Amino acid sequence: MLDFNTLETIVFSILTLFMVGGSLVMITSKQTIFSAFGFLLAMIALGGMFALLNNRFLSIAQIMVSVGAIVILSMLTILTVNAKEENMPEEKNKFILISISAIIVSPFTFLLYKALTTLPEHFTKMQTINSKVIGSLLFSEWVLPFEILSILLMSAMLGAIIIAKDKLKGENS
Amino acid sequence: MSADPFFLLVAILFSIGLIGVASRKNLFVVYMSIELMLSSVNLLLATLSQVLGDANASVIALLLIGVIAAEAALFLAIITHLYREKRTLDSDKFKNLSKVK
Repeated sequence: MLDFNTLETIVFSILTLFMVGGSLVMITSKQTIFSAFGFLLAMIALGGMFALLNNRFLSIAQIMVSVGAIVILSMLTILTVNAKEENMPEEKNKFILISISAIIVSPFTFLLYKALTTLPEHFTKMQTINSKVIGSLLFSEWVLPFEILSILLMSAMLGAIIIAKDKLKGENS
Repeated sequence: MSADPFFLLVAILFSIGLIGVASRKNLFVVYMSIELMLSSVNLLLATLSQVLGDANASVIALLLIGVIAAEAALFLAIITHLYREKRTLDSDKFKNLSKVK
């Protein structure tokens, strides 16, 4: 079990505030770039949450990949696409839609919470973890998913290039 | 403090992502909501890893970060392509496969 002292509880509260606030900004703001900033805030707070869970390796990976690559790539794409006001979707009653879906989703949230709290009882407890154990597991037991992931990343890169490029000059349509 | 607040946070984040996918039309916001749902699963894996003392969950979370990166690359390429086709970011305008016109 996790045993937190007062300082860690305060840090947890601040990070929770950042995560929930960032994601709320993300789904409510009109400008796309402000959504991206809210997403950035949530991702940085998630990295802090991993650090709070005493999982340094995952925290650094989160900061490097999610914040450094994914969010910055999203912002670059948003700024490159540079959609004008008339190209954006018209969302007049956005807040009504968000409230209705929040009401519909809230029982699901409660159910998910109840299910998650009983989840740890169904697993056996093991030894404490550190980065060394994670590294040795990654390259012994999980080496096949690791290799499959590298193939997936390469095919995603090729697919992204092929989808996003202009049409070839030979194709007239 | 037990791990329950972490589970509550995971549930709330997943639901916010679900609300974003269900109620917004902007393609970028839909994409970021999907990312948020995936990241909440990541937080769940990290929490379980710490509660159970099991390093396998950390390894799965690490692999999931790679999957999220691949998904981001493809999704952004698709958004760029769709914008170039129709000059709009409205997800309601892309219904070529739908029967309802």
